[in-house]
Amino acid sequence: MEERELVEYFRGQIREDPDVASAVAAIRSLLEFLKRDQSETILGLRENMTQAIHRLQEADPSVAVSSGGELFLRFISLTSLEHPDLSQCKNVMIERGELFLKKISLSRGKVGKLCHTFIKDGAKILTHSSSRVVLKVLENAAADNKRFTVKLMAEKLRKLSIPVTVVLDAAVGYILEKVDLVIVGAEGVVESGGVINKIGTYQMAVCSKAHNKPFYVVAESFKFVRLYPLNQQDVPDRFKYKADVLKTAEDLNQEHPLIDYTPSSLITLLFTDLGVLTPSAVSDELIKLYL
Amino acid sequence: MPGADKETELSERIESFLSELKRCGSGSGSLRGSVETARETSSLLRRITAQARWSSAGELMEIIRKEGRRMTAAQPSETTVGNMIRRVLKIIREEYARSRGSSEEADQQESLHKLLTSGGSSEDNFRQHFAHLKANVIEAINELLTELEGTTDNISMQALEHIHSNEVIMTIGRSRTVEAFLKDAARKRKFHVIVAECAPFCLGHEMATSLSKEDIETTVIPDAAIFAVMSRVNKVIIGTQTVLANGGLRAVNGTHTLALAAKHHSTPLIVCAPMFKLSPQFPNEDDTFHKFVSPHEVLPFTEGEILSKVNAHCPVFDYVPPELITLFISNIGGHAPSYIYRLMSELYHPEDHEL
Repeated sequence: MEERELVEYFRGQIREDPDVASAVAAIRSLLEFLKRDQSETILGLRENMTQAIHRLQEADPSVAVSSGGELFLRFISLTSLEHPDLSQCKNVMIERGELFLKKISLSRGKVGKLCHTFIKDGAKILTHSSSRVVLKVLENAAADNKRFTVKLMAEKLRKLSIPVTVVLDAAVGYILEKVDLVIVGAEGVVESGGVINKIGTYQMAVCSKAHNKPFYVVAESFKFVRLYPLNQQDVPDRFKYKADVLKTAEDLNQEHPLIDYTPSSLITLLFTDLGVLTPSAVSDELIKLYL
Repeated sequence: MPGADKETELSERIESFLSELKRCGSGSGSLRGSVETARETSSLLRRITAQARWSSAGELMEIIRKEGRRMTAAQPSETTVGNMIRRVLKIIREEYARSRGSSEEADQQESLHKLLTSGGSSEDNFRQHFAHLKANVIEAINELLTELEGTTDNISMQALEHIHSNEVIMTIGRSRTVEAFLKDAARKRKFHVIVAECAPFCLGHEMATSLSKEDIETTVIPDAAIFAVMSRVNKVIIGTQTVLANGGLRAVNGTHTLALAAKHHSTPLIVCAPMFKLSPQFPNEDDTFHKFVSPHEVLPFTEGEILSKVNAHCPVFDYVPPELITLFISNIGGHAPSYIYRLMSELYHPEDHEL
């Protein structure tokens, strides 16, 4: 399968189902690539896969695609260890891949169910940019007849008849005294338990810490990444800026980054499909996977 | 018929346990210590395992879950009961896995690794029948009971590492665990204890009398003086009713004040809590988290005129967030609050968090 076809397939997936997480779309495209791959050896397969993942990352620079890709690569390595014969290995991989996809498409529902008990009746919630997971959480909570007002989310919430107020990023500090809790999604969850999310999340976290409001993050488990940034500069450039910007810009310091890093000390709890985790539990989960 | 007799006897015991739970809810904290409650629950569960009719592990777990739900509904604030039930459920799962001889081992949790490598449906229905399952489960519950017996001693054994000579230790209210802890250290060291009386039930007075009988220099202070005295305190050692899943505490009211004062003065806060107090709940449920009792201790009925104009509350518990706690001392050693999630995953299975 040509790399161009792969990127087309990936974009097609996102077009057909705009609600799908970009990591899921990436994994689906990689599985399709696997099915059509012609290599004779496992090493060849791995190399093709690595190239394909790079290509996808160029097409969509988000952290989620990177974590999804790494997970898939890990998946291949684990399976190939058990079945050294290529054709048998491939069949097992395809079967397991389908199962994996099915499970992770349910993960958003699981997260929604876990989180909605933390939202009390009449709560005021602050959130940031458009996250489909947070939307699912609020949907579940709304079904349970809890009233709440939400700031800074899209028209989708109005459709669910939840009272919404849109607030400027700069007004976060101003509005925080009226808010009961803050819930955000994540593009990636890093090893220290911190998160990478749309720019503006970090200042929301710092403000909510100053006001003593709980700061919750909802994320599916396939977003866990093997990164350990110590500060904002440590986040790799390929996530911060779009691919074309990376190629054409002369001085990256002049460009506006798309994401920022929120350290784990500012996060109260993480809601994932693996359960409710404290930030210190995240690295444990990652070790379990990559060990 | 002997069979029916045993069953009625069993249900009678369960009923009497439930009514005791309901009764001990009112008044000063608990009429019995948590160790006794844990022990009673475990022996009751052992009885149920021995006498109830079941043919497979799945049925036994259903029976225990049903009884468990009734017991926790009788007294929601007594989390020890729920914790013991979850321990027993985990025991049953382990014994079942061992009988099957499968290498399920400890990785029963959801993990990314499991998601990637599981080949098919990993649903385990616990339907298979094993002859020795009953004996194994009962033996494991006996081991659990022996562990319960030793918890206070195991905790007190660690006292000498934490308490040094000529230190001033502060505590609040009355905790049997802390009492044993301090008494054990007093055998070899000389130190001073300040007890906050913990109004309105004032159990701090009993604690002080009991400690002074062992020749420990004790001072009783009112709760309002906690902050004032804190600058002279070297360590704060407290007990708790429950340890929550995020590492926070549900302790007797006044503990949050104590914790905040300790944080302000950078005094270490040590919590002595045995493992059976660890509960998989989070502090989000407002309706089941707090327990309120009659406020006649706060504002007696004799003050009739004021009563009609004023709302009086008497909460029993306080929430202490994990950031204020330095160390947990349990029967298996000392842990940081951020490690609690790990201990929880070893004690309970995630599917049992909701009974």
